[in-house]
Amino acid sequence: MDLLNQLETILESDPLIDEVGLIHPSQFITLSKECSESSNSSSDGAFRPANTKFWNRDHKLGISTEILLPVCKAAKSAFMDAMKQYKTHGDLSVNKREDKNMVYGHSSSCQSFESEVMKHSRALLLLSCDLGTAWNARKLVVSKKQQLPMFTDELHLSALVLSYSHKSEQAWSHRRWVIKMICEKYSNLQQIIAKESELVEKIAERSKMNYRAWNHRCWLVSYMTREQMLYELKKSRDWAGLHVADNSCFHYRRRLMLGISENKQGDDPSYDVENYQVVKEELDLNEALIKRYIGREALWLHRRFLSLCLIRHLMTTTHGISCHSTSMDNEINIFLDKELRLLDSCSTIQDTEFEDFEGQAMYSTMYFLWLIKQIPEFRKIELQEKLKAGNLKNILHKTCPERSFLWDVLEL
Amino acid sequence: MAELAVDKHVKYILAVEKNKDSFESVVMDHLRMNGAYWGLTALDLLGKLDSVNVDEVISWILKCQHESGGFSGNIGHDPHILYTLSAVQVLALFNKLDVLDIDKVATYITGLQNEDGSFSGDMWGEVDTRFSYIAICCLSILCCLGKINVEKAVSYILSCKNLDGGFGCTPGVFCCVGALALTGSLHYVDKDLLGWWLCERQVKSGGLNGRPEKLPDVCYSWWVLSSLIMIDRVHWIDKEKLVKFILDCQDVENGGISDRPDDAVDVYHTYFGVAGLSLLNYPGLKAIDPAYALPVDVVNRIFFSG
Repeated sequence: MDLLNQLETILESDPLIDEVGLIHPSQFITLSKECSESSNSSSDGAFRPANTKFWNRDHKLGISTEILLPVCKAAKSAFMDAMKQYKTHGDLSVNKREDKNMVYGHSSSCQSFESEVMKHSRALLLLSCDLGTAWNARKLVVSKKQQLPMFTDELHLSALVLSYSHKSEQAWSHRRWVIKMICEKYSNLQQIIAKESELVEKIAERSKMNYRAWNHRCWLVSYMTREQMLYELKKSRDWAGLHVADNSCFHYRRRLMLGISENKQGDDPSYDVENYQVVKEELDLNEALIKRYIGREALWLHRRFLSLCLIRHLMTTTHGISCHSTSMDNEINIFLDKELRLLDSCSTIQDTEFEDFEGQAMYSTMYFLWLIKQIPEFRKIELQEKLKAGNLKNILHKTCPERSFLWDVLEL
Repeated sequence: MAELAVDKHVKYILAVEKNKDSFESVVMDHLRMNGAYWGLTALDLLGKLDSVNVDEVISWILKCQHESGGFSGNIGHDPHILYTLSAVQVLALFNKLDVLDIDKVATYITGLQNEDGSFSGDMWGEVDTRFSYIAICCLSILCCLGKINVEKAVSYILSCKNLDGGFGCTPGVFCCVGALALTGSLHYVDKDLLGWWLCERQVKSGGLNGRPEKLPDVCYSWWVLSSLIMIDRVHWIDKEKLVKFILDCQDVENGGISDRPDDAVDVYHTYFGVAGLSLLNYPGLKAIDPAYALPVDVVNRIFFSG
């Protein structure tokens, strides 16, 4: 219990802690030496006894690996006890609603149980961040109080946890709950969403291909305005270009684009034009990246989505009715010709030493086959001629023989 | 080719059940119910479920049930739909579903369905397609699927666009496909398109990954493989290569299976490895149902003996 007290005292005295880490006992000695050396040179010259269990300076918290298990057990035990007390007392005060001597919900004992629950759950969650019951306890307390500073504290705690446990599903889920609560009561929604999006990007930088972080960012899209979606797409463009292997990042871009195209707000034809522009720009970006970063599967997968968007767009009028017009057919033909040329340029394996060229050939072939699968019937006849000229079947056999069966699936 | 070290894995699983004092077990003990499902189902597939004390397990499971009807991951923790399914699955393994007040469990689950047909995981409202699968699977095992709004549940799943693969994660895809399979709604799926994306998860080593550009992981031998089986496209991957990959992930000295060769083992991957091998008809293993994630004989017992 003493260890737990120490930890909780530190957390209480330093609410700005932004980093938590585990320290091997031997490292403590080094850190303590550095600390006493620098404090000797400071004015007070006070001696600080070396603490070999916890380290707290500059808003960083270090915990010795030696005490991790005991302090975790102590925190869990204290938390479970506090929860029992809190819930029992909660039931009692509900039953005693008629008792005039009871100040419901604000009695000092009720408040002290509450603060015990919050205190112990905070320590516990820093050590064992996936304990749903502890997060739920905090939800319970905070939802009863409904105070913005408490909601903000929850965001702070979960951000701290996520800074070292990038994938903690419980922490991400807790944030979503808090945001929903805040959005219901307070209306600075856009700002919250923008900040949340930035947080994800920061964490994604440290923790590559973090599905849960990006999934959280996708969840935010349903709270965004069309302008915000367009802004997000533009703002994260450069980041995407620097992380071309991160499929989750492109999944997010697809989610934004879907949101943009679905968010019509009336029949204004300018929206359709804008949507078309968005797809075209993304296709251009994608092509540039494909040519620069050879053999990146995520890029080719992204292209599948984009091409489909474009074709569907070309096949519908602004009123959403499918129709064939010669100019439209032309557009689609031009597009397919371009894609065929892209395929040609990618399917020559220039150098068998680097797997990337082989990858490029395989992915481009698979992309094109997938495109054929997606195109409505009436196109296939025109395309077949072009394909015969392009010798697609041979390329398939050469680049990914294990997928040769897909040729039959296509029924060409 | 390596062989499946059955005895070692059984020993490993039984040892894990007993170890309660490491840091790992302390931080994982909130999901002990899931762990029980993984360990016990793996034991059953290996033909060794009788190595376990049934009464002890059942008594512990029942202590995890709450007033609401839901089950928690361990005694004293909050209930959640995830643990409720695992509890029901374990009871099914032991043919002890009769210890349940089925209406109570059903009430908990039906209470978690939202207006739009989706399911929350617990009273705090987080929505996820995984929870749709869990609700459908659980109520199906309890033979009371009709208690939820199945039509809305299905339409919600279809609206999630997980089904051409490019829109989600593979466990999500499995959950959507599984839920549709259990509700007789697989005809809504474009199987060629979905199978396409799934078969592209097989990498050169023969293992399956969960998303483009990620390393293969044994657990996807379940998520991807069972999905392919449910949509009748399992011939689109190289099964032999996958078997070899899974066998390479074993720790043949100490037992257990890891996510990929030479990594540390755990019960989760041990279960998925064994389950994957079962789906691939590896000799000596019981057959497993791809939608229920339970041995076929357990599923048959539920539906064909009243």
